[in-house]
Amino acid sequence: MLVEEAFLQLQEQFPDVEMKYGKTDNYLGNSGLVRVYPSSEQQISAILKYANENGKTVSVEGNGTKRGFGGLTETADILVSLSRYKGIVEHTVGDMTVTVKSGTVFRELQGFLAKYNQQVSLDPSWPEDATIGGVIASNDSGPKRLGYGSARDAVIGLRVVYPDGSIIRTGGKVVKNVAGYDTNKLFIGSMGTIGIITEITLKLRPSPKAESLSLLSFPDANLKEIHSFVVDLLDSMIEPISLELLNPKLSKNLTGTEQYTLVVGFEDVKSSVDYQINKLKDLKPQNSELNILQDEELRAFWDRLSCMIPNGKRVSSSNQTEACVKIGVKNLDVVQVIRESDLLQDSFNLKVSAHGGLGHGICQVNLLGAQEDVALAISRLREVVESYHGYLIAKHLSLALRHKIDVWGDKPTYFFLFEGIKKKIDPNRVLNEKRFVGGI
Amino acid sequence: MPKLKTKDKHIKKLAEIVKGPNSILYLKEDLLAYDCDGFTIHKHLPKAVVFPKDTEEVAAIVKYCDANNLPFLARGAGTGLSGGAIPLNGEVIISLVRMKRLISVDTENRRAVVEPGFVNLKLTNSISDRGYYYAPDPSSQYCCTIGGNVAENAGGAHCLKYGVTTNHILGLEVVLPNGEIIEISSDGIPDAPGYDLLGILTGSEGTLGIVTKITVRILKNPEEKQTVLAYFDKVSDGSHAVSDIISAGIVPAALEMMDKIAIEAVEAAAFPVGHPKDIEALLLIEVDGVSAGIDEQINQILEVCKRRNVREVKVAQDEQERGRWWANRKTGFGAMGAISPDYLVQDGVIPRSKLPEVLGRINQISEEFGLRIANIFHAGDGNLHPLVLFDAKKPGDTDKALKAGSACLKVCADVGGSITGEHGVGIEKKEEMRFIFSDEEIMAQTNVREVFNPNNLLNAGKLFPTPGRCIEMKSDVNEPLSS
Ligand SMILES: Cc1cc2nc3c(=O)[nH]c(=O)nc-3n(C[C@H](O)[C@H](O)[C@H](O)COP(=O)(O)OP(=O)(O)OC[C@H]3O[C@@H](n4cnc5c(N)ncnc54)[C@H](O)[C@@H]3O)c2cc1C
Repeated sequence: MLVEEAFLQLQEQFPDVEMKYGKTDNYLGNSGLVRVYPSSEQQISAILKYANENGKTVSVEGNGTKRGFGGLTETADILVSLSRYKGIVEHTVGDMTVTVKSGTVFRELQGFLAKYNQQVSLDPSWPEDATIGGVIASNDSGPKRLGYGSARDAVIGLRVVYPDGSIIRTGGKVVKNVAGYDTNKLFIGSMGTIGIITEITLKLRPSPKAESLSLLSFPDANLKEIHSFVVDLLDSMIEPISLELLNPKLSKNLTGTEQYTLVVGFEDVKSSVDYQINKLKDLKPQNSELNILQDEELRAFWDRLSCMIPNGKRVSSSNQTEACVKIGVKNLDVVQVIRESDLLQDSFNLKVSAHGGLGHGICQVNLLGAQEDVALAISRLREVVESYHGYLIAKHLSLALRHKIDVWGDKPTYFFLFEGIKKKIDPNRVLNEKRFVGGI
Repeated sequence: MPKLKTKDKHIKKLAEIVKGPNSILYLKEDLLAYDCDGFTIHKHLPKAVVFPKDTEEVAAIVKYCDANNLPFLARGAGTGLSGGAIPLNGEVIISLVRMKRLISVDTENRRAVVEPGFVNLKLTNSISDRGYYYAPDPSSQYCCTIGGNVAENAGGAHCLKYGVTTNHILGLEVVLPNGEIIEISSDGIPDAPGYDLLGILTGSEGTLGIVTKITVRILKNPEEKQTVLAYFDKVSDGSHAVSDIISAGIVPAALEMMDKIAIEAVEAAAFPVGHPKDIEALLLIEVDGVSAGIDEQINQILEVCKRRNVREVKVAQDEQERGRWWANRKTGFGAMGAISPDYLVQDGVIPRSKLPEVLGRINQISEEFGLRIANIFHAGDGNLHPLVLFDAKKPGDTDKALKAGSACLKVCADVGGSITGEHGVGIEKKEEMRFIFSDEEIMAQTNVREVFNPNNLLNAGKLFPTPGRCIEMKSDVNEPLSS
């Protein structure tokens, strides 16, 4: 269908909804012939109902940072952008819960909560662009999940618009709740394939009273030593909120030191943070170097780390291929994964930045180079990871590469349950076509 | 095989599947012990009880039941408080108590693998010498099973800081209602690609599948713990102290409250600690973590209590004293037996800030129904346990107790809370689901059940209200009518 025709049709249906001509030549795909910017839940519901009844496909986005994450379609009929659907719905300071519209930018939400010395304990990528809805729908997390958990530990309730336009609440507004199935979980990480999340209720934590970041670099690049140091550290009484291993290249970018570096974060009352730093000094191997960041330096470090993944919203200036993968393995296998990722640089002539959490097992690896090399390196890395019984998901790839590399890897044996869930909720396959595991 | 005293062909077949002596019960006198769980108000006899020893036997039993249209359900220790393990439809009960091995412990990667019948507290006991523990600690932990905990998404006193069962489950092996065995994240690696099946199975009250193996997260023991006991002359002062502690930015490991009637009961029961009888409320507060920060937080807590007119406040002097305080608290439900012939445990959740208001309204309900209601609860996360005291021998009392319990849940729902925080819906709260969910929302959930359990032979008639007037759920035709 012609863009103009599609546009006029939609405009006639929804005269009150802001809309624009879509962009059809996006190298990341996941766009729409027409971009619509609903400002209310009713509008979102009406648009989905219309699409569902008229055989239209819908692509959903917050602010577009994850346009390169999954999906085999260049252009759906309609792109629903939630970027105008934003704001705090309810914040009960004493209950430490907040309800927020899904298009709210993550950093804005944190800024609002900071006034009350509270926070959502998530540290996703691109907090200045990413919406809370996108963070939840893609289950994005950062190094601090070691201390605070991930989206599934923070979300206590959702409002979701189903493809037929019905509005379904899952969970509730209280921090403990086992009434009915925990259907919140279905939507976290579902990549917008079974509903549009419109409101999110989150459990909050008090802002830490003190924070510090210890950068421990290992000039000998002795991975056995790093491994056994981490085992001792995890077995000690200290409670780091992050324990992230950086490959030398990433460390160079972030700290200036081109060595394997461990990022050990502490957040607690001041006396406890100081005490733990001292313990860390006692435990650290002799030849490792310790550099402690505080205040501005610390914040700048976290900010830079959270912005290392390519951002689908900002058009890449590089003429090389950028990619980013998420890897899950057992906690301590992270050391090997970071090492293997680092080796890809020489084998495939790439620039590779890699980091992974030794207490939680999730790694993120960025690759930059020629398209064929990037593709080969990802396949190689997937083989390595699978030999550790882990998985690899491509978090950012061009549409062209997504047609060559399976973003999600092989289907699990219980794939029929995923299909069953999708069919029950979105039988007409309206939402985010083929954006998820096994072409769901 | 011993000769069976029955002609029932299904029982004979089942006896062939679960080999070994004492692997099946089918005589009425043996089945009586299985006609209810910790929710004793509804009773129904099962068809049989089978005791499989491994996953393959579970799968074979399930396949047989599915093929022969026999309803079935799983049972752990039977301590559930909402009736989840009651065989409403004369189910074949699949008891998992024989599958009780600790399969492996990996302290480096902080995980352990257990069979479903493994008792909760045994896990902590098995790894404490290495300095590790399993965080979710329901008061029934000395006997309830981890399989049952997964099914109910059990909580406990220390879940305020560490989260409930779902936050500690890393992998599951499940026998689906058609007998197929699936393994989800068996290596315990988080965020497996796809919809979060671990999340949906945990807390599904045994209606989506039978859990046969569980990978859990284990935690390092905190370096230090301190425990405070505070006595208040006014409930409102105690409630405000709860809010103040949280507002001070402290995340206590536990923050528990008991009111006057509860105190009367625990002092009359097996583990008295000498609480004054004339106080209106007590708080039991625990802070843990690295040793350096603890004193500071304890001092802040003591200050808050003083500001809120505490009559007396003390810090446990040693592990024995701390242990006594916790034994007194954790046996609180059973303690009701010391002051009342029967009691009904309720379980609702409210936004913490509504505590004073809700406790007042529960008081009114007590007066209205003429039944005493004790309150023992996880104040830190707003999870109330009103305990309605009654005498089942008095005509009408049971019914009154049920109604009073339901009225308490209505109050929780009305202030924006939930009808259950940890005990589940089961049979008990099916109808109360309507307090918080619309018909459409309930259907969205039964749709999920249909994906896993399309024939609804597994634990039917639980969790969801009997279909209402206008909404017809066709798969629910064999939903039994519970009186
Ligand atoms: C004195 C007392 C104190 C309690 N305190 C707490 C508390 O503090 N916190 C709390 O959360 N609960 C508490 N409970 C409730 C109860 O102990 C928990 O719900 C517990 O998780 C039930 O475990 P169980 O092994 O007894 O399960 P059961 O009662 O045998 O079964 C409970 C449900 O789980 C299902 N089920 C059991 N095993 C499996 C399996 N392997 N796979 C699938 N489904 C299964 C059953 O079908 C049933 O629906 C308490 C109960 C008592 C009696």
